[in-house]
Amino acid sequence: MNTLYTMGIDIGSTASKCVILKDGKEIVSKSLVSVGAGTSGPSRAIAEVLENGGLKREDMAFVLATGYGRNSLEIADKQMSELSCHAHGAHFLFPNVHTVIDIGGQDAKVLHVGDDGNLVNFVMNDKCAAGTGRFLDVMARVLEVDVGDLAGLGAKSQVQVEISSTCTVFAESEVISQLAKGTDRCDIIDGIHRSVAGRVGGLARRVGVQPDVVMTGGVARNCGVLHALEKELNTEIQTSPLAQYNGALGAALFAFEKCR
Amino acid sequence: MAIAEKLAEFRKIADNPKTQLEHYKSKGMKAVGVMPYFAPEELVFAAGMFPAGMWGSNTKSISRAKEYCASFYCSLVQLDLEMLLDGTMDGLDAVITPTCCDTLRPNSQNIKVAMKNKMKVIFLAHPQNRFPECGVKYTESCYKKIRAELDEVSGHKTTDEEIQNAIKVYNRSRAARREFVKLAGAHPEAVSAVMRSGVLKASYFMLKDEYADKLEALNAELKALPASDWKGVRIVTSGIICDNPTLLKILDDNKCAIVADDVAQETRSFRCDAPEDDADPIHALAIQFRNQDYDILLYDKFSSQNRRGEYVAKMCKDNHADGLILFMQQFCDPEEMEYPYLKKALDAAGIPHIRLGIDHQMRDFGQAQTAIQAFADVLD
Ligand code: SF4
Repeated sequence: MNTLYTMGIDIGSTASKCVILKDGKEIVSKSLVSVGAGTSGPSRAIAEVLENGGLKREDMAFVLATGYGRNSLEIADKQMSELSCHAHGAHFLFPNVHTVIDIGGQDAKVLHVGDDGNLVNFVMNDKCAAGTGRFLDVMARVLEVDVGDLAGLGAKSQVQVEISSTCTVFAESEVISQLAKGTDRCDIIDGIHRSVAGRVGGLARRVGVQPDVVMTGGVARNCGVLHALEKELNTEIQTSPLAQYNGALGAALFAFEKCR
Repeated sequence: MAIAEKLAEFRKIADNPKTQLEHYKSKGMKAVGVMPYFAPEELVFAAGMFPAGMWGSNTKSISRAKEYCASFYCSLVQLDLEMLLDGTMDGLDAVITPTCCDTLRPNSQNIKVAMKNKMKVIFLAHPQNRFPECGVKYTESCYKKIRAELDEVSGHKTTDEEIQNAIKVYNRSRAARREFVKLAGAHPEAVSAVMRSGVLKASYFMLKDEYADKLEALNAELKALPASDWKGVRIVTSGIICDNPTLLKILDDNKCAIVADDVAQETRSFRCDAPEDDADPIHALAIQFRNQDYDILLYDKFSSQNRRGEYVAKMCKDNHADGLILFMQQFCDPEEMEYPYLKKALDAAGIPHIRLGIDHQMRDFGQAQTAIQAFADVLD
């Protein structure tokens, strides 16, 4: 049988990710460009993933797009919602997954995944940046730290500080007044992580949290948020360096199913 | 005329309320704005005036209304006031302000203050206890007061016979809408979600006799269609309002047919007729209000039994729906408080659902699109 290559493209609000799968089993190439829908990100990510794999568009048996910018992608044979793709991708990486907590740049979602890797139920955040990657970006800016350093700094916290989880704008002014009071930056960061965990934890309880629990999306790289969520939900949460590619991976898997 | 053309006509009317208002005004009619919910619109019609429905706007933004409204008021109420303030509803000679929720109640006073020199503001407070005889009496006394106020506006003393005739017209238009909802659910290929909404919404911007004629003609054509073999999913919609064409198109794009609805602007507004054989037409309208049921805005002394939740779940089952989509108007207390009960009943009945927060000022529906597409995948 010939080798079957399929491509999954996930155009998020803040990043574009691609994965090429061989025979629906092996990741042969992946790419990530840190700008998303409406930018040059998608085409750059596609060019990169093909180049990394030494492949051409014609080699792809099926290309499936997902994510916020999925509708505006001509190269794709089909588009699907990222919720279905995330469920599938997580099941590939963690075969026993039943709950996926995905915190992306602009939204947070919790998925209940069936034994077969299909989406069973889900909830998404309301139209508010609280509890999303955007929230962390805003806070990092106020604190004058790189968003990538939040986890390390938060881990050094000594004193518990509460930051409200209802609204990004409120939280921003809370952070500023804490800074003005001279509160240690690490304590504030830890408070911010717990604030995100509180918000997303509430969302997760709405669909029900069933093990194994997996965290994906850009924010999964922040172990401060991940540990705060473990405490919040009183459960172990797994993640993977591939977690950011989860949507694209799921899309590539669906693409493989489409051509079978 | 083909079905598609008829649907397009309704859609056009639904999208141009101001043109409709001007049309009736140009005929020399007076016009009365009717805000949600359960206002006895029959009295306006009986007085020979044009009742103009007021359900917010999908194209306007809230600005002047902010001077009066707290920021947590739902967009429906704020935009109604906005349209009164910005001149959109200048043709109105009066407005009826029912007070079924904690947002409508204070806003009726905002409108009164804001409109004091412009138009008559007719206050309507339905009774909490609508079932006992005293509740019916109370409703009657409210409606008598409204009748008198409308007579002042029209300059004509409405007769019982005129009201009885209005009841007949309204019952006919309600029956036609109920039938249309069934036919639209049976023929989703012919009636998209966008068009379905257009047909139902147009009823708020037409005289109901003209509307009923037009809708009965459409229904006749739909009835003649061969049975459909719909391959998409079947959903029930719920909420106060979901009339944004951009949002509804997402349902169409994802092959979601609306087979029934529990929406205040739609089925909940025409579920209940008024008796036609009552010698006292005001009593008949009060009985109609008493008979309204299964609505989040109405007091239910058996609410702990979750009758409403179960009613909606049964509606899903009876219509063989695969799932329910709840369009929740942002910051609507009655809806938010009701949600846990609805969820409980749906879960117990094994009916999947999603809840989408909406607001009249939303122009981008990216998140709703993702959720609806995923929901359709799950149901398929
Ligand atoms: S019931 Fe809800 S949507 Fe309707 S007017 Fe009241 S708050 Fe607004």
